[in-house]
Parts: sequence; C-alpha cells; structure tokens
Amino acid sequence: MKLFAIPALLLAAGLVSMPAQAKLKVFACEPEWGSLVGELAGDKVDVDVGTSALQDVHQIEAKPSLIAKVRSADLIVCTGAELEVGWLPQLIRQSGNAKIASGAGSFMAAAQVKTLEKPSALDRANGDVHPDGNPHIQMDPRRVLIVARTLDARLAQLDPANAAVYQQRLADFSKRWLAAMTRWKAQAASLKGRKVVVHHISWVYLWDWLGMQQIGALEPKPGVPPTSAHLSSLIALTKSSGTLAIVRAAYQDPKPAEWLSERTGVPAVSLPLTVGGDAQSKDLFGLFDSTISKLLGAAK
Amino acid sequence: MTFDMEGLDISILGPACVAGLIVLSTHVPLGKQVLSRGIIFIDLAIAQIAGLGVILAQYLGIDEHGFGVQIAAAVAALAGAGLLSWTDRRWPEYQEPLIGTLFVLAATGGLLLLANNPQGGEHLKDLLVGQILWVSYAQLIPAALLSAALLVFMWLRRGRLAGLWFYGLFALAITASVQLVGVYLVFASLIVPALATAGMRGRGRLAAAYAIGAAGYVSGLMLSAVLDLPSGALIVWTLAGCALLAQLLPAVRRSHPAQAAAETVFDASA
Repeated sequence: MKLFAIPALLLAAGLVSMPAQAKLKVFACEPEWGSLVGELAGDKVDVDVGTSALQDVHQIEAKPSLIAKVRSADLIVCTGAELEVGWLPQLIRQSGNAKIASGAGSFMAAAQVKTLEKPSALDRANGDVHPDGNPHIQMDPRRVLIVARTLDARLAQLDPANAAVYQQRLADFSKRWLAAMTRWKAQAASLKGRKVVVHHISWVYLWDWLGMQQIGALEPKPGVPPTSAHLSSLIALTKSSGTLAIVRAAYQDPKPAEWLSERTGVPAVSLPLTVGGDAQSKDLFGLFDSTISKLLGAAK
Repeated sequence: MTFDMEGLDISILGPACVAGLIVLSTHVPLGKQVLSRGIIFIDLAIAQIAGLGVILAQYLGIDEHGFGVQIAAAVAALAGAGLLSWTDRRWPEYQEPLIGTLFVLAATGGLLLLANNPQGGEHLKDLLVGQILWVSYAQLIPAALLSAALLVFMWLRRGRLAGLWFYGLFALAITASVQLVGVYLVFASLIVPALATAGMRGRGRLAAAYAIGAAGYVSGLMLSAVLDLPSGALIVWTLAGCALLAQLLPAVRRSHPAQAAAETVFDASA
C-alpha cells in the first residue's frame, strides 16, 4: 500500500510502457557485483547497487529507498561471509521479500569459492573470528571468474527466457577476462615475492594471486586503535623487510598509512578495492588495471 | 537531487514513524526536565554507560544476543543514573562537567576493554545504537509497554521527579530509545521540542512540544524517502526546522526563553 495515492495517470503510463515481460531486478550489495551482473546480463536486468566504493561496507546508513529496492528485487547479489552482517539481515527483514531471503533469489559470492583465513576450529581466542573466512574475495580474478560462472547459472535459472543471452555473455566475458588475467600476471611478474603492510586485512586474495606477502597490518582489529607497542614493532618490521608499500583502501582514513610511511620511507598507496574506488576503476577490468599499475608505481 | 517515490511506502516508513512517536512520548516531558536542570548531555552519557554495560557483560560470558544484553544495559544505565543522582546532590554546581567526564570515561572505557577482547567485536560498541529504519513492529511492543509504564508513573507523580526517580526513569527511557532510533535522534527528541517551547507554560507547552516533535518525525521520514537521504540524520534537521517554524506562532514565542526562561534554563547548573 502506498502512503500517497499515485496519480492514476502515472499508473496508466507505467502500465502502457511496461514491456510484455518485466525485467529481472537485481540488487547488488557492492559495486563489484553490480559490475559483474552488468557484464553478464547487460540490459536484460535492472541492477541497483547498495553501497559505493568510498564507504565501509561493514556499516551503512539506512535509507527508505534501500528497503524499497530490496523489496522489489528478484535476486540479491552480495559478498556474504559476514561482510554485510551489520545491515543486510535487517534490510532483508524490513523488505519482507521472501524471494531474496533465501534460496534462488539470494546469491552470496563468498559461498561460491574457497575462502582464505577460514578458521579450522571455531576458537574465539584467535581474535576477530570470521567463521566463513575473509570475505574480500573480489580482489582475486580467479575467484571472480568462478563467481561469474555460478552467478550466470543463477541468472539463467531465474530468467530462463534470456538464458541464451546470459550464456553467450558469459562466454564473451570469460574470454576477455582470461586474456586480461594473462596480461595482469605478466605485468605484475616483478611484484612476486614483494612484501606489503596493509591498513586492514582487505587484500589477502590479491596477495595470494600475485604471490605477494603481507607482513603486517596497521589496524589488526577493525575499529580498535592499534597499541603503541604494535606500532613500534610494525615500524621496525616495515623498515627491515624491504617493504614495497603500505596499502589502504580508498575509503579508509589515509592518516595511519601516511604516519607509517613518514617514519619508514616506504610509500603509502591507496588502492581502489572495488569498482569505483578510483577514476580508473570504472568496471572490473579497470579495477585490476588500476590496482596493478598503482602497485607497480610504488615499486619504481 | 533524485526524487524517489518508491520509498514513500507506509510499510517501510510506518514502523519508523511509530518508533519516533513512542520515543517522543517519554522524551518530550523528560526533555523539559533535562533542560531545566541544565544537564543536556546526560542522554549521551547514559547511552554510553549502557553500552559499556553490554561490553562488560560479554566479558562475564553473557550472550551478546537476546535478553541478557537488555538486562546488562539496563543495570549499567541504572548504576550510572544512581551515580549521577548522587553527584547531583553532592556537587550540584559541577553536575554538567561531571556528566561530560562520565561520558568520555564510558566511551573510552569501552575502547580499552575491547582492545584486549579476544573477539575484537567491532559491532559491540554499536550494539545499542539503532537506526530508525531497521525498527520492526515486534521490537516496538516492549518499547511501547515501557514508555506507557514510564508515562503512567510520571503522571502519578504529576511530572515532579526528584533526584533518584528522575535519573532512574531517564536511564530506562534512554536505554530503550537509543536502541530504536540511535543517539542523534534521542538527543534531538529530548532537547529540540523542549527548547522550542521553553517560553511556554503548563499543558500548552507539552502539547506544543509534542506537535513539534511529531511534525519533525513525519516530515523527516517523508523527506528522506523522497530525497533518498539517510532517515535518522534528516529527522534531526526537520525537528530543528519544525522548532524554528513554530517560533513564527505568537503563542509559542510569546515569552521568549531569552527573557522569561533564561533563569530557569540555566539556574540549575549555575
């Protein structure tokens, strides 16, 4: 029921302009999945993206439009692995949309791939425990490709009329993606074995793919300021290890990374982390182009 | 600016609107007292202490979901209220700075506790901070019952709440409301309607304050849907906007706080 009666005219216009079959409506929690849906479905679906690259996806501000978008969605594409645990459950509950609460309408990208840092035993003494592993899987192109394949199958399942289109677009995307992966790997060959310090552990998949090594983190526990003992050992470690760069995400506060950079002479680098994180990251391809060129820039 | 009529949906805005009205029901009369006592930051301090109580409870092994949290928050808030009621009697002239000090101690105490908390628990700090749009009708029932009980109690005492009673009632009301609508809205609901009507007296003042509060919540929720902006933050602004607009009414402005009520507003802390 609408709070305001929609003028009959508008309603009529909407009915007339509505296509014979309504488009599949997709709600993506993060820009990288919105971009992936765009690659796989083109104009066959309507995509809304819930968050931007310049915000911390662990927490978001509630807007009425967000609930309205989830309410009308046929499919939600999110990361899962507790990344959105602070808001997605409430959003789904408020939307009252059973289609996307579970089952075919709910697609969790992290559940499609093997996650890293998954605790073997659920021991709360091990620090900030994510039982499903590190959720930031979008920074590994191999995992992105796996997600693309399962997501494509899900789109075809929900919208069989366009299954052939999805299949054809997946084939096209896979071809371009594999070619890009070969190019990125070649460009990044010199980065192999290099060491980095991070702001927060958002990049483990990138290091895993490029064969780089993370030697420390400025903020090991999110939201909890580091202790002085931790920082002094981090300075010593950063200096003595021939560290390539101090890496932070575009949305994170630059001060800690710059602080460490000043004391160690190691350059601080801001990486996009997702689509839209910098000017070059207009899509998934741009995201990796930009990430690798920024890391190479630090190596010069 | 995008106009988004999709969000103008009673089933989306309805629970939030009811939550706002429930919060207003107790906060408008309490806000009047807070203002006359000159202790406007007490709500932030109480909310912070309730949060500290939850963190402490987790240390003692109480599950972070469920009823234990509410008990821990309420006990901590009441303990804080007891302490503040005592300092109010002991050093009434320093009550406001003492409240401020307690606020920063509770906030940073939480940080210190969490620093060595094996679970890290970034969300623990925010456990007691609600967002008005996430409210469900099921959550509203206990809050409505508590508010009704508090209102009956205030009515029985004819609005005159001495030391410990005031602080105790206040602590319970704040602990419940912060979880529904968040600290910014709690602060605004307490202070803004009371401030806007500071020049008025008696029942008329209460009615005007309720009207300003309700207008602020309803217009804020609708604007946030149409303009696609975060609801909580926008309601704070529409509350202030409605309070300013109300000053155009001669009945509200008649004896302006700058003249008549200046003493009553600031005397308690002077």
